[in-house]
Amino acid sequence: MSSSSRSPHRVPSLSAKNRKMRLQFTQTQQNWTKKIGNALPGAMSLDFCCAVWMVGVFLVRWSRYNPYYLEPEVSKEAYSRPETELSAEEKEQRELKALRPIKAATSGVTSSVFDDPVISKFINMMMKHGNKVLAREIMTQTLENIKKKQVEKYHKASEGEREVIECNPYTIFHQALENCKPVVGLASIQKGGKYYQVPIPLTDNRRRFLAMKWMITECQDNKHRRTHMYEKLSQELLAAFGKEGNVIKKKYELHKMAEANRAYAHYRWW
Amino acid sequence: MAASCVRTVGSFLGKCTKCSSSINTVATQVLLSRQVCVSSALCRKNLAAAGPEKFTLEYIQKQVEEYEIGKRHLANMMGEDSENFTQEDIDKSIAYLFPSSLFEKRARPLMKHPDEIFPKQRAVQWGADGRPFHFLFYTGKQSYYSLMHDLYGKILKIEKHQDRLRAKGLFSQDAQLISLGPSRWLTKEELELLLVETISTHDYDRFIKLMERMLAMPYSSTEEEFVQRYRRQLEAQSMKQMMPPLEKDENGVAFSTAEGRRKTSDSSVILRDCGSGHITINGQDYLQYFPVLQDREQLMFPLQFMGVLGRFNLECTVSGGGRSSQAGALRLAISRALLSFLSEGDGEAMRQAGLLTPDPRVRERKKPGQEGARRKFTWKKR
Repeated sequence: MSSSSRSPHRVPSLSAKNRKMRLQFTQTQQNWTKKIGNALPGAMSLDFCCAVWMVGVFLVRWSRYNPYYLEPEVSKEAYSRPETELSAEEKEQRELKALRPIKAATSGVTSSVFDDPVISKFINMMMKHGNKVLAREIMTQTLENIKKKQVEKYHKASEGEREVIECNPYTIFHQALENCKPVVGLASIQKGGKYYQVPIPLTDNRRRFLAMKWMITECQDNKHRRTHMYEKLSQELLAAFGKEGNVIKKKYELHKMAEANRAYAHYRWW
Repeated sequence: MAASCVRTVGSFLGKCTKCSSSINTVATQVLLSRQVCVSSALCRKNLAAAGPEKFTLEYIQKQVEEYEIGKRHLANMMGEDSENFTQEDIDKSIAYLFPSSLFEKRARPLMKHPDEIFPKQRAVQWGADGRPFHFLFYTGKQSYYSLMHDLYGKILKIEKHQDRLRAKGLFSQDAQLISLGPSRWLTKEELELLLVETISTHDYDRFIKLMERMLAMPYSSTEEEFVQRYRRQLEAQSMKQMMPPLEKDENGVAFSTAEGRRKTSDSSVILRDCGSGHITINGQDYLQYFPVLQDREQLMFPLQFMGVLGRFNLECTVSGGGRSSQAGALRLAISRALLSFLSEGDGEAMRQAGLLTPDPRVRERKKPGQEGARRKFTWKKR
């Protein structure tokens, strides 16, 4: 009994040519409210006027902030740019920000040059039972360790190789994370009674999350009981920087699975 | 049911007295003389179906007269001028004569014009002959549909205007779109108040769509004042910031005080324009009080953002909460105190960086039937 005998061959209700024509038509008509919406900043339909939203219907993921509130912009450079440099959208964004209330900045972010959102996210993911002090300590030790190893390598290397060696632990961290990010992911989709692993595109946030998650689980699980977390983490980061190591291997395995299941890609409907 | 049974029994027996009179006379007499009890279920009115209490026009007018007379009496009592007695004066007098420490403001004694107290109601919509006044009465939502009808009439008028211009050859596509400024549409609740009838979200969405449609047409500025009736102005958020006053102490040093709260911590900060950059918290040095780097970063955040790190002396007190919430309370207090030393543009930049908003996140309560706020008990199949 094969799966193909169960589900009949489907004829699309809209042929490819007509679909294209329809899409073109809708795209011309798409902007008739957007034009007005763009001309009038803050003029969006708002249902909530009070500052903190009293939830009558209990949703699972909700925030103490009214949806009307905007995210804060912490970096100093965003405010030092003069009016002339901004594009039209940025101008509208500025006007919108002047009219709407803004959420409070969280306690993990600052405007200092040493604050990195990617590293903060990584620290939060490493944190267990709310022990941020320990997680941050591990992170700083990791970066220090990376720097030590690279400087050692730098001093031992000959003149020609010295230019290639990267000593900045932050660039190594970012590059290693970039190398670990998968391009496609798999989703379990049910079709005709069976579950298929279908390759799907991933959003940037999801890719970053997967890279960090793999890195952390790899360092927590596959290490000798006597090695510290920061040692193992620095080893993995340096390996990922050089496109080797277990995390990179995991990424390639995922890509291979996605390539193998390429035939089911059309099961995705979004 | 029981009531009806008793009644029929009574009447049935009444008919049967003729036949069984000799034997059961005493019994039937007793039965017939017994009170016919009817259950209260028949008498009880369906209160929910009646809707909100309806006030007649005469009643409201009487209330208005009583209010005016009462206002004059109150002015005489307080020794004020009864001609120019405003609503604020009334509120102050009532608060003085009837002091109340109830937490719920709406439960306190109140004297306001009846229009503000009694909900707006529709006068009777039909004449003595029973025929309704409005031609859309039988739609059920006459104000809403008449509004939509008017709006559509305006759209047709604009289109006619466009056709006339096109005939003359003066039509241009990008002419005279309405410039409404920073404003928003009326919310559904506000629209309901305006129309004095309830509308559904679907109706409201259609209304907004039709309005947007009208605004999208060129030459729609002719209907500007009609559109403005349904828009509310948005004022810039920066106007709402409370700046602490800038004071000068004996040595001529400018300082300002501000308070901040986060979770259960309260803090108060005195910012002195000295030039040394010392920070004292509850008498201790900040390095001693906050051994963790993150908390010290949070203290520095507003100062570093404005680039005034070494300029101010901070004298802080904080109590309650944990280390992170104390740091957050202090950060808010420092940002507020800093407002009085900065220009308006800087203040706006601080607000957009999220430094001036008090963080509303508090600990979520534990719910019954669950182990914590979100965690459920272990699920057991049996």
